[in-house]
Amino acid sequence: MATTTGSSLDADESGPEQPEARVGLRYTLSQVKRDPTALVGLGIIVFMTLVALVGFVDGVLFDFLGDFDTFANMGVHQYVLAETFWVNPVNDPGNAQILRPPVYLTNQLYPNEAGTWAHPLGTDHRGRDILVRLFYGTRIAITVGIVSTGIALILGTLVGAVAGYYGGWIDDALMRGSETLYAIPFLILVIAFMTAFGQKLTYAMIGVGIATIPTFARLIRSRVLSVREEDFIEAARAAGVRDRDIILRHVVPNSFAPVLVQATLQIGVNILIIAGLSFLGYGAQPPTPSWGQMLSNSRQYMLPNAWFSIWPGIAILITVVGFNLIGDGLRDALDPRINN
Amino acid sequence: MSEPILKVENLKTQFFTEEGTVRAVDGISFEVNEGELVGLVGESGAGKSVATSSIMRLVEDPGEIVGGTVTYKGKKLIDFEEGPDGELRRSSEMLSNEQMRKQIRGKEIAIIFQDPMEALNPVFKVGAQLREFIEINRDVSGKEAKRIAVDMLREVGIPEPEKRYDSYPHQFSGGMRQRVIIAMALACEPDLIIADEPTTALDVTVEGQILDLVDELQQKYDTSFVWVTHDLGVVAEICDRVNVMYLGEIIEQADVDDLFHKTRHPYTEALLDSIPRPDQSVDELNPIKGVMPEAINPPSGCRFHTRCPDARTVCREVHPAYQDVSDPGEARHMVSCVKYENVGYDDAEPLETEATGAFGGGLVEARGDGQ
Amino acid sequence: MGRLRYTISRLLQAVPVIVGVITITFFLTDAIPGDPVQIMLGPSPSAQQAAAIRAKFGLDRPLYVRYFSYLASVVQLDLGTSIYYQVPVTQKIMERLPVTMYLLLASFTFALVTAVPLGIVSAQRRNEPTDHISRVVALFGVSTPSFWIGLMLIIIFSFWLGWLPSTNIVLPWTGPANVGGASNQLEVIIKSLQHLIMPMITLGTLQMAAFTRIERSSMLEVLGEEYVKLARAYGVSESKIVRKHAFRNAQLPLITLVGLQLTSALGGAVLTETVFSINGMGRLIITAVQNQDYQLIMGTTLVFGLVFVIGVIITDLSYAYVDPRVSFDGSE
Repeated sequence: MATTTGSSLDADESGPEQPEARVGLRYTLSQVKRDPTALVGLGIIVFMTLVALVGFVDGVLFDFLGDFDTFANMGVHQYVLAETFWVNPVNDPGNAQILRPPVYLTNQLYPNEAGTWAHPLGTDHRGRDILVRLFYGTRIAITVGIVSTGIALILGTLVGAVAGYYGGWIDDALMRGSETLYAIPFLILVIAFMTAFGQKLTYAMIGVGIATIPTFARLIRSRVLSVREEDFIEAARAAGVRDRDIILRHVVPNSFAPVLVQATLQIGVNILIIAGLSFLGYGAQPPTPSWGQMLSNSRQYMLPNAWFSIWPGIAILITVVGFNLIGDGLRDALDPRINN
Repeated sequence: MSEPILKVENLKTQFFTEEGTVRAVDGISFEVNEGELVGLVGESGAGKSVATSSIMRLVEDPGEIVGGTVTYKGKKLIDFEEGPDGELRRSSEMLSNEQMRKQIRGKEIAIIFQDPMEALNPVFKVGAQLREFIEINRDVSGKEAKRIAVDMLREVGIPEPEKRYDSYPHQFSGGMRQRVIIAMALACEPDLIIADEPTTALDVTVEGQILDLVDELQQKYDTSFVWVTHDLGVVAEICDRVNVMYLGEIIEQADVDDLFHKTRHPYTEALLDSIPRPDQSVDELNPIKGVMPEAINPPSGCRFHTRCPDARTVCREVHPAYQDVSDPGEARHMVSCVKYENVGYDDAEPLETEATGAFGGGLVEARGDGQ
Repeated sequence: MGRLRYTISRLLQAVPVIVGVITITFFLTDAIPGDPVQIMLGPSPSAQQAAAIRAKFGLDRPLYVRYFSYLASVVQLDLGTSIYYQVPVTQKIMERLPVTMYLLLASFTFALVTAVPLGIVSAQRRNEPTDHISRVVALFGVSTPSFWIGLMLIIIFSFWLGWLPSTNIVLPWTGPANVGGASNQLEVIIKSLQHLIMPMITLGTLQMAAFTRIERSSMLEVLGEEYVKLARAYGVSESKIVRKHAFRNAQLPLITLVGLQLTSALGGAVLTETVFSINGMGRLIITAVQNQDYQLIMGTTLVFGLVFVIGVIITDLSYAYVDPRVSFDGSE
């Protein structure tokens, strides 16, 4: 056993008993605080979330107000904040400089004219600033990651809790169903789902959420099965507490920690899935910028501007690394056996 | 008496954790004579298991053996000496890891672990595991090793050993598995077997059978044993001599009869009070008060003073010496308690402890008078 | 005895899952808006033409009738006719499936061959530089979008260095006559490998990283088990402990993961095939969806589900083979 307490033969032989219990969210968080890699992950996510907030504000303005001509005529568009503080990524169409290289670099289109700080990462095939679009893509990534995971979490918890708690044919039916769902590759399931219901980002999120229900359902079910045997559940049942209350008050809180770990890791996975969907054209629809879609666009322009396809990938990578670091940190804190 | 087969002197093992240094084994000394069954007793957390794994040099990170000498048949399994800078360092006589592995482990000293359910590899056949260890430690051919293995299985009372040889561990009960582990230890023909709570995980009836088996085999093979347990009942049944450990230290050591009948240390006394004894009738059992403090920050003076019914102020200040207190003509009886030292225990004020508590004061006085 | 029974029970358990896959895809496909007839005949077909097409493909029958008749025909290995390609769905799948399987097998092989040693070394040298490097590699591997790795590989090895072809795949058993620039089978195989490398890495990196992580953690766990300590206490050398005593046990979680990763690998195949313009199952299903080719969508999804289920059964059986407890108990 690779323990931190480190006894070679007997776990409680050398490890000084901690005064406070080594479980619970507070303890977990205190462990995470001492884990530098988890803190790096947290830093990444906090930064990404702040960036996403800017895009989020503009996104709300754009989505809700942009439909009205009055506001559109007033110049409300999805880059209001960016434009106010820095640069409008949507260049004047007549004047747009497309596929400009990043700062200090040249490319085939601009062999004698290096990129400038006006567009540090260059511009895309429509002359839009890549950095600003990257920033705005954060909003989509973070939102879809969290929302789709939230959907999977809620539905999966429900399915898993019911299956594990009632057992019998209900368990069999739900678990077979969730196995079936798992048997169809996520991406294909979601594409079929979006084809059936509509190619909107909302459906992508719902689709990914549904497709990943089995992950949470299994986890919760196994927790429920172990908790169900506990004496206090028997006692609660004998005392006439209703099943629903037992699940809500005892089983769910007892499963909180592993679910938190899984959810954090799942956000990263879902960001990757939705990036893949956007790459295939099944995600956020233009003009809303998303990283997958930027990569998809980049394919045609890779030759003159390889940078165009590098940036969004790095953005996805960093974000997902962030969630994975936090998830790993949480898991290590919860399970000291695989601690480092 | 001839030179003891195993001699442990001032062994120290520490764990370097984030919270601080845990002095799991803090300078223990004991010996095992040939053919002797020596007990190592204490509550969990006393450092018994760490002590045994230290002897085998199997302590894992972040644990480290930091001092002392362990001599086995003249070989230095552990040997620290003071370097020119005053720091302790490994002496040149101490066996290398490679020597330890090839010459000592299995061949000379075998170990039996607490939980037989975990100690056998679930994916290999029992016989194959047995045979491998025999091959390694007895320099015999595979065929010969198999024969020895089957014989040994029969010896430890496994029915149909030829058939069971090809079974997987999960097809054995806990008691049967422990028999396999004992067969494993004996089959390598070591001169010393360290048994780390080998019966703790078993049912009481199975435990009795295993103890009888060990007793019988020990006499037949004349193997020496170090028997680690928290159960004084087991000690009474099989041990010749007993070491009582508390918080990393051995606080009393005596022949088994002396320990039970001429108990010297208040901790041992408390331990004995906490178990039912056939030789004494008590109205009710009297569990030891309080919990063992952490080895990371042990109490000053005598480490037991926080729970000792006899504690006096001096116990807080003086760390008792480990000394022989036997009467002339008797076997050696080592104990470390200030009561047997001339450091002013008799004049010191009684100390309020977890054991004395609200109504314990009178008890302390009564006992004090008895001294 | 135990193993055969276990195999049979495992196969039987797969049946409801397959029926479930068919059911989900059937009703999901039916929910797709738009009229396949229009797609075939253009925006304004004559009523007669439309009716003829509907009758031909059985679209004029009620939903539940179509569902059961589809189930019945699946049992007879008839997946219907593709409206878009105008050929039997099975024919199209048989054409494409080998390509995807070739790619999948290659990338799983790549993943396992790299991950197992990497994970073991990482566990053995815990918290040493080797371990840190392999953990960072694994972390980045699970965090990188596979299609982006593909794009980067193309930029570096095809555009800049010109070493490897950026599109298509050649099956190694294709006749030399059908492969441009190859005069014998050996050249076909070499060409096939050149085409394979980048898609293989693209699809395999995520699996590789996931496998490395689980290999490391399960090896660490097994190395702390009592039976490993016992082996140590009996003088077994550290290298033999890893090779023999810990190895089999440490592979158990990996085997389970290999099965589970299949579903993400199949999804990854869609992306990889798109990036490298490979005509496999992944692109087939995208084409089917884009053209609302009902029969083809259902057929390809069914095959994806089958591949997954068969893969999981194979991994379950190998698990039972490695761990005697499973098949003997009959449960789990």
